[in-house]
Amino acid sequence: MERFRADGFDEFVAGRWSALLHVARLLTGGDRQRAEDLVQEALVKLWFAWPKVAEQAPEAYVRQVLVRMAARSARRRWWGERPVGELPDRPGPGDVSAAVAERSRLEAALALLPPRQRAAVVLRYCEDLPESQVAQALGCPVGTARSHASRGVARLRQILSDSVRPVG
Amino acid sequence: MDDFERELTRMMRDSRQPAPFGPGHRARLYQGIRVRRRSRVLWRAGGSALAVAGLSVGLALLPGTGSRSLPADRPPLPATSPTPPPRSPGPTSAPSPSLPPTGTAGTTYPGTTYPGTTAPEYDGTPTFPPSDTPDASMPATTAPPPPVSTEPPVAPPSTEPDRSPSMTAGG
Repeated sequence: MERFRADGFDEFVAGRWSALLHVARLLTGGDRQRAEDLVQEALVKLWFAWPKVAEQAPEAYVRQVLVRMAARSARRRWWGERPVGELPDRPGPGDVSAAVAERSRLEAALALLPPRQRAAVVLRYCEDLPESQVAQALGCPVGTARSHASRGVARLRQILSDSVRPVG
Repeated sequence: MDDFERELTRMMRDSRQPAPFGPGHRARLYQGIRVRRRSRVLWRAGGSALAVAGLSVGLALLPGTGSRSLPADRPPLPATSPTPPPRSPGPTSAPSPSLPPTGTAGTTYPGTTYPGTTAPEYDGTPTFPPSDTPDASMPATTAPPPPVSTEPPVAPPSTEPDRSPSMTAGG
């Protein structure tokens, strides 16, 4: 039984690790260490819930745990997350990679959002989840989730307006 | 979805970095699982101990349990005492039916004492029923102790010779 559980769990983790880490990184505003911690804790929780959720939707379970843990950890003071007036890590003229610069810009802008707005934006635009699933992950009504996403996008638009150019 | 939202979607997806799940990650993950399992066991054990302690305290404090159930004014029951020695009929007293031994403090029921003998003072040890064997501490006996002699005493007509008081008193 334990062997069977470990096999399925390992397979799931190995297949979804990269995606989960990416979501966690966006949820934490680019903090890689904190994102790894969040993913690890969420997967530990998944291990104990695996017999119940393995046949259903383990990724949705992990996503929900990630969102809630990210929001909870953002409230802790020792993470040192504090809003700033100016975006850090702005790409300078000597930066080698435009992709790295763009990712840094995005993560820094996400870090300025409140945790629930950030989670709504990430789940909606990165994970491409419908509003109902975003609301389920956030644990709020659909209208509230829609409002979080809308406000988050408006804030990001304001932050990134001077650096993001339209496609084309 | 406007242009900015499309651009935002592209930025979020393009910023994804490949991160393979290596052996280090796996070891760290299973170490976390072990720690969590241990802490869950400890929490359960602590919870069980607290529940048992709470139940014990609750049962101990419940009225009507334990020694408090006995009413205070209930008369004590006669305590059992060691088997009384074989009673030898006194020379002057008639053998009486077997009396229950009295061994409790201050509980002398009428009928357990013989007329002419004083009830013994309670000295903390169980007392046997007042014997009709002559004793020096019982001056009120109706008959003096027979003299100790080597000669077989003359048994009274109503008593047996081998259970005479002289044998008991003389040792």
